Amino acid sequence: MKTYILTRVLLAIPMILIILTIVFVILRVLPGNPVLAMVGPKAPPQIVAAMEKEMGLDKPIIVQYGDYLLNIAHGNFGRSTLTSLPVIQELMQKFPATLELTIFAMIVAIFIGIFFGTYAAYYYGRTLDVVARVYSIFVYSFPVFWFGIMLQLIFGVWLHWLPVSGRSSPFMIPPHVYTGLYVIDSILNLDWPVFVDTIRHLILPSVTLGVVISSIFVRMVRSNVILSLSSQYVVASRARGVKEKKVLFSHALKNAMAPILTIMGLEFALLLAGAVLTETTFSWPGIGSYLISRIAYRDFPAIQGAIVFFAFFIAAVSILVDIINAWIDPRVRY
Amino acid sequence: MALLEVKNLRIDYLTRRGSVKAVDEISFSIGSRETIGLVGESGCGKSTTGLAMLGLLPTNARISGEIVYNGKDLSKMHQEELRKIRGEEISMIFQDPMTSLDPIMRIRKQFFELIQAHHPKMNENEMEKISSEALKSVGIDPSRLNNYPFEFSGGMRQRVMIALSIALKPSILIADEPTTSLDVVVQEQIMEVLKELKRSKNMSMVLITHDLGVVAEVVDKIVVMYAGHLVEYGNVYPVYEKPLHPYTQLLLESIPNVKLEDRELKYIPGSLPDLKNPPKGCRFSPRCPFSKNICKEKEPPIFEIEGRRVKCWLYGGEINANIDKTSSAVG
Repeated sequence: MKTYILTRVLLAIPMILIILTIVFVILRVLPGNPVLAMVGPKAPPQIVAAMEKEMGLDKPIIVQYGDYLLNIAHGNFGRSTLTSLPVIQELMQKFPATLELTIFAMIVAIFIGIFFGTYAAYYYGRTLDVVARVYSIFVYSFPVFWFGIMLQLIFGVWLHWLPVSGRSSPFMIPPHVYTGLYVIDSILNLDWPVFVDTIRHLILPSVTLGVVISSIFVRMVRSNVILSLSSQYVVASRARGVKEKKVLFSHALKNAMAPILTIMGLEFALLLAGAVLTETTFSWPGIGSYLISRIAYRDFPAIQGAIVFFAFFIAAVSILVDIINAWIDPRVRY
Repeated sequence: MALLEVKNLRIDYLTRRGSVKAVDEISFSIGSRETIGLVGESGCGKSTTGLAMLGLLPTNARISGEIVYNGKDLSKMHQEELRKIRGEEISMIFQDPMTSLDPIMRIRKQFFELIQAHHPKMNENEMEKISSEALKSVGIDPSRLNNYPFEFSGGMRQRVMIALSIALKPSILIADEPTTSLDVVVQEQIMEVLKELKRSKNMSMVLITHDLGVVAEVVDKIVVMYAGHLVEYGNVYPVYEKPLHPYTQLLLESIPNVKLEDRELKYIPGSLPDLKNPPKGCRFSPRCPFSKNICKEKEPPIFEIEGRRVKCWLYGGEINANIDKTSSAVG
C-alpha cells in the first residue's frame, strides 16, 4: 500500500508540471501587458521599462520560465500587483471558503447521485428509473449561474427563507478562526447562532453546485450499478438469502464504486470551475471570485497563483481518489 | 415422501418479440438424500428450472405450476419467506466460480453475511466456527478466510462456493453445472467433494449438467430435458442401459469413446428449436430419426413405461394417449 501511494504521488508530478507550463504559456501569449495594466496606458516609457525589469519581464522567456518554476517550488507565488500582498497569503485566506462550498456541494451531489442512481438501477426500466434519467438530462443542461439565480429568486426573494449572498451575515463570523471553515469553527467555538447562520448561507450555493454536478453522478452510478447487478455474484448472494438492501448496497454498489469514484474525482475539477461561476453568483468570497476579480485587473501573479493552486488541489484529489479506490478494491493494490 | 416436488412447472420469459416458453409442463420429485440430474443441451431450460426452485428468476419470467417444498409452494411464496429458505434450506452453486464470489469482499465476510442473513443474533465466534468447519469440509484451510476471491484458483473458488452453500446445512443443494468451467482434473475433485458432502451431510442434490459422464457417477434419478420439455425421467441405471426416448439415445451415443475404432465425434444433427415459436407436435421431431406423422402433428403426452416416464409417441399409440400427464411420481 505504501509503495502504491508513493507511485501515485510521483505520477502526479509530471501532471502538475504540464499544468504549470500551460498556465505560463497562456499568460504570456494573452494580449495585455501587465505593467501597463498596473501603471496605466499613459505612463512614461522609462517607468514601464523599470517596472518590467523589476518584475523580470525583460529576461528571455526561458529564464522567466525557470524562475517561475523555481519560485513555485519554494511556495513563492509572487506579490499581487493590485494589493502588493503575497499571493499565497491571499489564496490561503480565500481557500477555506471555496473548500467549504466545494465539500458541501460534493455532499449534495454524492447524496443525490448515490441514492437516486442506485435505486434507478434497481428499478431499471420502471418509473423511478425514467424519472432519474429525465432528471439528469434536465439538470445537466442547467447553466450553473442561471440555476443559482433561480434559486436566489425563489428561496431568497420570493420566500425569504434563505440569504442570497455571502458566507455569513454581518458580525456572524466565528470569534476564533481555527480552520477557516466556518461550519467547523462555529462548532469548535460552540457558537450555535453562527453555526446556523453559516449553514443558512451555505445551502443555496452548495445546492446549486451540487445539483448541477449530481446529474453526471446519477447517470454514472445508475449505469455502473445496472452492470454490477447483472453479475453472477449478485445472483449468488441472493441465492444465499442475503437481504436485498445488502445485495444492492454492499455488493452491487460497492463493486460499481471504482469507476464512479474516478469520475467523482474528475468531477471535483469541474466542481472548482463551477465554483468560479457559483461564487460569482452568490458573492462567495472564495478563490473563484478572487480569480474573476483579479482577471479584470490583469493581476498576473494572482491569476497564475490561483490557477496553480487549483492544479495542486486537483492533483491532490486525484491521488486521494486512487487511494480510496485501492482501499475498496484490493485488486488495485497488487 | 418427496422432499421437493415440482408439478407441471411452466416458465415463460416475456420479451419484446413475444414470450419464450423456456420450461413447459415439467414434473419431477426429489426424495430426501436423493440426487437428481437435470440433463440436456444448453438452452433447454435446466438452469431456469434450478433458479425457479429458489425463486430467483428474472423479473420478466412468468411461472405457473407448483414447486412444493415441506408442504409449501415456493413458486407462490412471498420474497421474504423465500429469502429465509435460500442458503439455509435450499442453496445453490453456479457454473462459473470466477464470477460467483464478490471479488472485493474477503471470504470471511461473505460467510458472515450468509450466516447473519439467517441468524442475525449469532456472535462472531460462532460464525467463525461455522465458516471454518465449512471450509474444512471442502478441503480448504480455515486460515484462508482472510483471503479475497482473486487469491484462489478456479477449482478452489468453486470449493469456497460449495462451502458457502453447505455452511448452514441445507437439505437441498442445487448445483448448476458446477464443473463445466473447470479443467478435467479439477472437475473430478469437485465431484468427489460433492459426493462426499452428500454422504456426510444427508443432503439431497439437484445436479444440473450437460455432462452425462458426471451424471452416471453421482445421480440416482435423471430428468432429460429437451427444449423446455421433460422427455425422459427415471432411475439412472435403466435410463443408461436402455434409453427409451430417441433424444436420450442420441445423447448417450454422442459421449465420445476412445476405445471405438471410429473415433469421430457423434452428434445430433440440427439445433434447438426457436422457443418463441416451438414446432407443433413433439419439439424433438425435426431432429428425430424416428419421426412419424403424428409426431409433427400432436404433442406427445407422457407415457409411463417400465417405471419410467417418456414423452414420445413411440411408446403409446392412440390408445394410451389419454394417460394422465401428472400421474404419480416415479420412485
